[in-house]
Amino acid sequence: MFRGSPLVDSRQESRNPGLGCQLSPPLSRHTWFPGRAGNWFQGVTRARARSFLRADADYTKSLAEEIKKQNNRLKKEIRKLEAELQVSTRDFQIQENIPETKMKLESIEIPETDSQLLNRSCSFQVNVQVPYELQRGQALITFEKEEVAKNVIRMRNHLVQMEDESVDIVAQQVPLNSEVRFQVHVQISEVKINVTGIPDKLPADQMRDKLELSFSKSRNGGGEVECVEYDTQSGSAVITFVESGVAGKILKKKDYPLYINQNCYNVIVSPYIEKHVEKFQVFSGISTRTVLLTGMDNVDLDEDTVEDLINIHFQRKKNGGGEVDVVKCSLHHPQIAYFEEETYETI
Amino acid sequence: MLHFKKTTQKLKEQQQSPGPSPRACCILLEEQTRLKKRLHDLQKLRKESGNCPQDKVPFPCPELPFVFRGHTQQGKEGPKSLLSNLRICSPLPRGSALVTFDDPEVAKQVLQQKEHEICLEECRLRVQVQPLELPMVTTIQVSSQIDDRRVLVSGIPVGLKLSEEQLLDKLEIFFGKASNGGGDVEVREFLQVGVMLGFAEDGVAQRLCQTGQFKVPLCGRHFLLRVSPYMSGEIQKAEISFQPVAGSVVVLNIPDVMDGPELHDVLEIHFQKPTRGGGEVETLKVVPPGHQGMAVFTSLSV
Repeated sequence: MFRGSPLVDSRQESRNPGLGCQLSPPLSRHTWFPGRAGNWFQGVTRARARSFLRADADYTKSLAEEIKKQNNRLKKEIRKLEAELQVSTRDFQIQENIPETKMKLESIEIPETDSQLLNRSCSFQVNVQVPYELQRGQALITFEKEEVAKNVIRMRNHLVQMEDESVDIVAQQVPLNSEVRFQVHVQISEVKINVTGIPDKLPADQMRDKLELSFSKSRNGGGEVECVEYDTQSGSAVITFVESGVAGKILKKKDYPLYINQNCYNVIVSPYIEKHVEKFQVFSGISTRTVLLTGMDNVDLDEDTVEDLINIHFQRKKNGGGEVDVVKCSLHHPQIAYFEEETYETI
Repeated sequence: MLHFKKTTQKLKEQQQSPGPSPRACCILLEEQTRLKKRLHDLQKLRKESGNCPQDKVPFPCPELPFVFRGHTQQGKEGPKSLLSNLRICSPLPRGSALVTFDDPEVAKQVLQQKEHEICLEECRLRVQVQPLELPMVTTIQVSSQIDDRRVLVSGIPVGLKLSEEQLLDKLEIFFGKASNGGGDVEVREFLQVGVMLGFAEDGVAQRLCQTGQFKVPLCGRHFLLRVSPYMSGEIQKAEISFQPVAGSVVVLNIPDVMDGPELHDVLEIHFQKPTRGGGEVETLKVVPPGHQGMAVFTSLSV
């Protein structure tokens, strides 16, 4: 009856998937109808039954409570992991503050299309990367040929003679980090402006007219309006002017007077900006010709010597190597190793 | 007898009391089995994707080959962003020019006078001056997530005798066909890691990623290309400030009375005269008369 906690013993769980279900039959079958020996049996059974049942009820209660507690703990852990994984599998954020940079006039071009003249634009390329850190006792070796690098990694263990001792070096692929690249394009309109804080005093049609009238008053800095897009719900509008330059003039101030009947309301004006990202790519770097060598933590020589010894060893075909381009090792402090994109010559 | 009945009654009640029944325990245990399996799956997923700090991307992502050429630097460095190809374009109206002085103070002085009179042999040109302001992005926040209508086609062999446009066309044709599992292509972009294709309808991207590999005809041969999910980026926030270009002045409303080179000289002479408040001119560029122009600025450092 009082078996070991089914929660801890998973084997039992699989054997008795529903322990609780087994409690009721024994209770009713054996306790209440014990057999032929009538009263006496009943008497004992009654007491025992009472205690059994009470105990069973208590046991069931504590069992249920225990299971509930465990389940809650599991749910909490699951929620935590789900949140963690969701954040990393669904999206990540990049936040950058761009330092002030001095600009130089390169040229004055005549644009092909008139539409280019309607905006001032700013664009730039962003590369987000995590530089590769070469740890103590590690080295990087770049071979001329990919096959050699592959072979060296395939062989994995290399015994390199360094002066008096043989050092066990392990060759592996360089675990490069991922990189994100994209272009940012921002266009600020010369002919459109955003207007917000428009009071909801008139029906849409009339408000559009009032906006057009107010924004065409040259004494307030306005100019001929080409069109008005007005949204009553948000109390905002986009005004397009016929001439460029009007927008710039109005935007010198943060607000503008809007006349509705006898009253004047100051509405907020801001630039009309369109921004988007182009050529967005996420990729992980893969090192095809460079190999990571580890196992030199206890080498007691200077870095230059070690680099030469590694170079000599891995130049030899009999050691599984080949023509070596570059060797760099880090014996005392970690260093940043800059990896560059491989440029292939196209046929 | 009565006593027995009473006890039976009491005990029966106790059995049916609101305390948890064995049946309830059964259900709770079933739930626990389910929860344990879910936790196990999530832990496995986390292990597979590694310990995801912001710099690691935990899904099968395309690869670009890199090589170490020997450049190192002492110390440690966290994730960093490199900005390059900064380009700012500002339209210039008809009859305008841009003057950059060696000394920013000269520019300030010139700007103190809104109107300038340029003396020519027979007449005077009245022009206006204005400071030059350029829009600069000061803060950018970009978020990215898997786009369920886009895919990345990778594994495109190098050295194919196709232009970017031709390659995009061929891939759009292939993956635009329902018979290949594709659908109407709405957007396409040539990237370093492959080609991005965006579909007009739901489900196409998933279908293609499920298949994963396709034999695509290019240049008379068939190549095995890989299709995988594409992460697209979106600007959440971009703060822009208008920064004056010290030392530069925009000249406006120049009457259209002479051609470019002549106008250039006339303006340069005028603005170099200290008596006119001018000074040494570093550069002077004129918008070709009769046209509107676009001033293109690039960064000195980025």
